[in-house]
Amino acid sequence: MQFHRFCLLTFSAAFGLTFPLPAQDSLRVSGSTTLNPVVSEAVEVLRNEKGLRITIDTAGGSTGGINALGDGRADVAMSSRSIQERDRDKFPSVKYHSVPIGQDAVSLVVSADVWNGGVKNLSGSQIRDLYEGRLKNWKEVGGPDRRVVFLNREPGRGEWEVFTKFLYPDRNKPPMTSHPMVGSNEETRNKTGGTRGAITFLSTPWADGKKVFALGLELPDGNVVEANGANIASGQYPMSRPLFVITDGEPAGAAATLIDYLLAEPGQQLVSKHGYLRLDEVQ
Amino acid sequence: MTGSRKFIRWLLPTLGLVSALVVAVVVIFIVTVLLQRGTSSVSIHFLTTDTRGAGSEGGIFYQILGTCILIGSALAVAVPPALAISLVRSVFLQPHTRLGKALDLILHLLNGIPAIVFGILGLLIFSKLFGWGKSWLAGGILLGVMILPTLTVALIERLAAVPRAYIEAATGLGLTRGQIILAIWLPQSSGGLITGSLLGLARAAGETAPILFVTAVFSGATVPTGIVDNPLLALPYHIFVLAQDSFHEGARANLWGAALVLVTLITVLNLAALPLRFRLHEESRHA
Amino acid sequence: MSERGAERFPIEKMRVNRHRWIFWSSMAGLLITLSALLATLLFLVWQATPIIRQSGAGFVFGRLWYYPEQMFGALAMIYGTAVVSLVALTLAVPVALGTAVLSAEYLDAGARLVVKSAVELLAGVPSVVYGLIGVLFLREWVYRGLAPFDPISGDSLFTAGLLLAVMILPTITTLCDDALRAVPASQRAAARSLGLTRAESVLHVALPQAAPGLLAAILLGLGRALGETVAVFLVVGRQDNQLPDKLFSWDALISPGQTLTSKLGGPETHLAYGDPLHWAAMAGLAVLLLVMTALCLAAAKGIEKLTKSRAARVAGQS
Repeated sequence: MQFHRFCLLTFSAAFGLTFPLPAQDSLRVSGSTTLNPVVSEAVEVLRNEKGLRITIDTAGGSTGGINALGDGRADVAMSSRSIQERDRDKFPSVKYHSVPIGQDAVSLVVSADVWNGGVKNLSGSQIRDLYEGRLKNWKEVGGPDRRVVFLNREPGRGEWEVFTKFLYPDRNKPPMTSHPMVGSNEETRNKTGGTRGAITFLSTPWADGKKVFALGLELPDGNVVEANGANIASGQYPMSRPLFVITDGEPAGAAATLIDYLLAEPGQQLVSKHGYLRLDEVQ
Repeated sequence: MTGSRKFIRWLLPTLGLVSALVVAVVVIFIVTVLLQRGTSSVSIHFLTTDTRGAGSEGGIFYQILGTCILIGSALAVAVPPALAISLVRSVFLQPHTRLGKALDLILHLLNGIPAIVFGILGLLIFSKLFGWGKSWLAGGILLGVMILPTLTVALIERLAAVPRAYIEAATGLGLTRGQIILAIWLPQSSGGLITGSLLGLARAAGETAPILFVTAVFSGATVPTGIVDNPLLALPYHIFVLAQDSFHEGARANLWGAALVLVTLITVLNLAALPLRFRLHEESRHA
Repeated sequence: MSERGAERFPIEKMRVNRHRWIFWSSMAGLLITLSALLATLLFLVWQATPIIRQSGAGFVFGRLWYYPEQMFGALAMIYGTAVVSLVALTLAVPVALGTAVLSAEYLDAGARLVVKSAVELLAGVPSVVYGLIGVLFLREWVYRGLAPFDPISGDSLFTAGLLLAVMILPTITTLCDDALRAVPASQRAAARSLGLTRAESVLHVALPQAAPGLLAAILLGLGRALGETVAVFLVVGRQDNQLPDKLFSWDALISPGQTLTSKLGGPETHLAYGDPLHWAAMAGLAVLLLVMTALCLAAAKGIEKLTKSRAARVAGQS
């Protein structure tokens, strides 16, 4: 007799907890690991000060966040790339409302042995050869005699979109390549730093000059432009991208509160704190 | 004795010893690493504060809470079917029927389904079909199905081990089958239910793949207040994300602390099941 | 019998009817659970049908996977899964067997308890913690250890296989130990009385008789290895289309690769959500994985049944 009572109790306990309580909406934020540090801290403040319920997830990167927004699985998408045609094609009923909250750049970074071996900048065509696997040894670009290990970013990452757009501005889809994959900015930095002859592309503030080193870009006219604040702000460094917070239609409610916070001084300070450019620094 | 026989006589236990030493080294390494890197960050404060700074500061309170909610609901989901299936297998079916063996095979297969397939199925059913978004209940149900075989098999073994003498005596006294189940079979196998539950909870606590798509978020979730769009934080997912994403060195300590807490939780649950398991194992060998 | 008696005595009849619900609710519980599981699996297979209709066998045997161009060939991932599992088995089985032989044949109850506890401890460590150790330690060691062979990085099929070996070690050890202990002591006693040393009685009597159980243990370890996701995901390198031309390729072994599980656990599952063909391809991968695992497990169960029937025959003869 005790048994079925026990089971009944356990079973109903777990489920009974939920039904009487009204469902409270929380704001679902999803997307890029580049924006995550900034938005996470902003959300913490809002949660403590205003009691807002906001959840953040970074699975799938920028594209994952945009997809989630399109599917209705997220209310706010964080993206380190802008909305493309294919996003609109995929979700035709979604009215993407993108709000830039800062600016960031994507740098080519290499491991210590490549940097110390003499490779300090690369041209667009050299990068293309590296990406497509035609350049296999660093000595071909003035570096050490070492095999090139190109670490590619997962396809959903904003950095990947910006990088491929830079290399292949006229093509809709970049060519198929075969490289080992890394995911988030941190994993990229760790794995690149720990592999000899490695090159990858990374959000600029993450290139710490200790584990990985940011290369300059040799422009077609021969000038070499470094990925520093001034060059990114002025637009001289080509691989720069605004950091977006995106909603479906005009932001309202908690989403609006979050976006307003990010655009205001405290939010902009967070942007700066994590190494990105504030809106007022971008020209 | 010939030389080669002496050699074999020496070789076999030596190889065995070497193998056992390999196992010992691995175990010692894992335990040492966890303790060395984790204990510095684990404290009462750590266990009761929520995470700040995207994992680099604060504690893991809501992750622990989320894990507890998950394993609790997994148990609640798994117990009723486990009781039903084990009663059918051990009591209502004759021991060596084809149906019984088919049931054994099904349980065996269910136990071996990879966790990631559960995750994909969860995405399919709870997210795509039901539209629940990320929900704690989806994770609870998935984990419940995953640990169902553990509970069921433990119950089946215990039910089968109830001495025939008891059943014969009860039948002789005029008790009906239903009465015998309630008065003898189930109470006698309560040990099996408890053991199976503890082992199941231990397994559910450590699973990452099932909750990857339909339950866990990295930050922001506290206590669920409904079913739809009510995700959880969970220890395994927290560790998984931080292992790739730790934003700076502070997060590293937090990460190992979380790992230590998770392994401790699982070990405690497994240890709690141990005395019962030894007693059951010995009894079944002598039966 | 008591039911018929109940019809004559009203009190008994009340008691019988009151407890029939146990039978019916149990059967209902069983049927509901089984049909829900079956429906779920069928649903998964149905979700995968678009890719089968599109590519047919090309899905399984296609060498290239590149979702932006809608190319979905799983062969490289099947190869990766197979290699990783094979490495894991090759490394784990000798150690597991050795430990089991020591524990079952040579140690007393106290020492056996120590070994069993150590193995249980390993079994309890969750896969994400193994993955963590893999990322922070194993990768470096493999990278340094394999330096003479100039690997691309510390992430490779080999690294994943090595990590997996540690993870399946407890499963195989425990089951081998059980299989050896199931061989009756009388067999060993008979061997000893014939003058065999303990080692010889293990080699020529215990091991052969336990062989089906040992094989089942290996198959179950293989099943576990096939399905492991998180740990493999973190250290396998996740490089697609690494299918070598020869079956046994050292180069592919120490290079990054991709397994069915590392693909499923990765970002593509999130990205595939809205795209019907891509989603069908991912569901197809899940079905492939399910089939491979189920075959291993069914084979293990089949061996178990064969052993039981053989043991029954032997017992009947003696």
